[in-house]
Amino acid sequence: MANATIGTETGASLKLPAGTAIRSLRSVGLPLGLAFLLLAGWQVAVTVAKIPPVILPSPLSIAEYIVSRHDILLMHAVPTTLESAVGFLLATVLGVALAILITYSSLARDALYPNLVFFQLIPKIALAPLFIIWLGVGMQSRVAFSVFIAFFPVVIATTAGFMNVDRNMLRLCRSLTATEWQVFTSIRFPSALPYIFSGMKIAMTLAIIGVIIGEFITAQAGLGYLIIFATARADTEVSMAAIVVLCLAGLLLYGLVAFGEWLANRAYSAEAL
Amino acid sequence: MLASLHAAPAGPPLVSVDGVQKTYPGRNGAIQAVASASLTVRKGEFVSLLGPSGCGKSTLLMMVAGLESVTAGSIALNGSAVTGPRKDIGIIFQDATLLPWKSALENVLFPVRILKLPVDKYRDRAHELLRMVGLAGFENKKPAELSGGMRQRVAICRALVHDPDILLMDEPFSALDAITRDQMNVALSEILETYHKTVIFVTHSIREAAYLSDRVLVMGGRPSTIILDMPMPFSRPRKFDIEETAEFTQVCRRLRLSIEEAHADASASPPVRPAGSKAE
Repeated sequence: MANATIGTETGASLKLPAGTAIRSLRSVGLPLGLAFLLLAGWQVAVTVAKIPPVILPSPLSIAEYIVSRHDILLMHAVPTTLESAVGFLLATVLGVALAILITYSSLARDALYPNLVFFQLIPKIALAPLFIIWLGVGMQSRVAFSVFIAFFPVVIATTAGFMNVDRNMLRLCRSLTATEWQVFTSIRFPSALPYIFSGMKIAMTLAIIGVIIGEFITAQAGLGYLIIFATARADTEVSMAAIVVLCLAGLLLYGLVAFGEWLANRAYSAEAL
Repeated sequence: MLASLHAAPAGPPLVSVDGVQKTYPGRNGAIQAVASASLTVRKGEFVSLLGPSGCGKSTLLMMVAGLESVTAGSIALNGSAVTGPRKDIGIIFQDATLLPWKSALENVLFPVRILKLPVDKYRDRAHELLRMVGLAGFENKKPAELSGGMRQRVAICRALVHDPDILLMDEPFSALDAITRDQMNVALSEILETYHKTVIFVTHSIREAAYLSDRVLVMGGRPSTIILDMPMPFSRPRKFDIEETAEFTQVCRRLRLSIEEAHADASASPPVRPAGSKAE
């Protein structure tokens, strides 16, 4: 009996590190392995079936293009990335500002909130050409459109965060005769941070979409422009390469937001540091 | 504190509640949460408001705190009328209500920061309070790393840190398990031996009220009023074993009978749970 117990205990303690190693191998190795398999399958299929590059270029030829013409791709990636970043930042500022307005003014809440939800039902992409009419063919129309489609999730998430505050915490603040500013800085804002960042992450991806759509319609540079230009010339390889670079730019921008979230989490974590 | 037969200290009334009513607008006419409550609490006295769920005792406490308006009547505290929140009280809720991202010490210092008092001057006091409640060494732990009882101890320290005259406690231990609750009762009476505070304590536990209080006010009836004002005949400091004495059992029986009487009188009318009162 005693021996059996000791036996299982030793077994468990030996198994634990091995188990975690297997788990991390699983969580990293499995998705990477699958992605590699799919790419390899694509490469083989294109080669064996002799699919013309106009229809579907092989992953290797796309990679080759990216490496050899990285100067052109980078040149087009810069305006897209910058405009997306600016659109995202403005959407965040606008979204948080509207959320503060909705939280603190019942007049603004009653007037604004139903309209915002209704506004969300508009297929906003349909409005993209109008932005060109209103703001011209420059970057301002693309940034404005990017803000236009990206700010909504920030408003909704941030408002939810500001409202979702422990009622007794607010009572405690009131009993201490705290000012609204003190309540905002010490309670509302910190407890809304996870909400704000989840809104910001959605806004980041939408901001990029906004800029790309703008570039599809009118642009002289940018990855969206490159995709449209290359597709019109049946240069599928270039389109694909531009899409890959776009993914990388998106990953970079999203990574920056995630890093900001990590920093905020460290400062306002419920966990021990 | 000196041991005396009747522990209720003599002194000028620190809290006086005079004919206070609270009515909430309801769908089918007004709901009366508190019909008419009058009471006085002397300096240094520990008074419990005891009653069943929804009897308006929490509402009465929140009116004393200035967090709820009174429909009629008046409340004076420390010689001035209560018209809104004020700095000379400390509040403790059923949940510890701590900032999850702040350490125990920072949570205790929260009122100091809100009241813009010199934090450096109060840091020693915060340490001392935490030591007093047995949390020495836990100053830098976050609430998630503390047990429910420990979190509520932090909340007590937070209520005491700015040295208020009056502690208002709204069922502070009812979310804790029975064993922790007994420990907290002992801890609270020890804390009050050191920091002599005037306390109004809302509870629905008869034993808790009897063990802690100088005086127990039973609330009940519909609409609710104070139906019994009973001094507790136990000397201080109290040991937890007074709960095993015949006298204690008798006191508890007396309190229980008074609650049951009020309930029997009121059972004909439908239950009232006004918006301000918490689930109990």
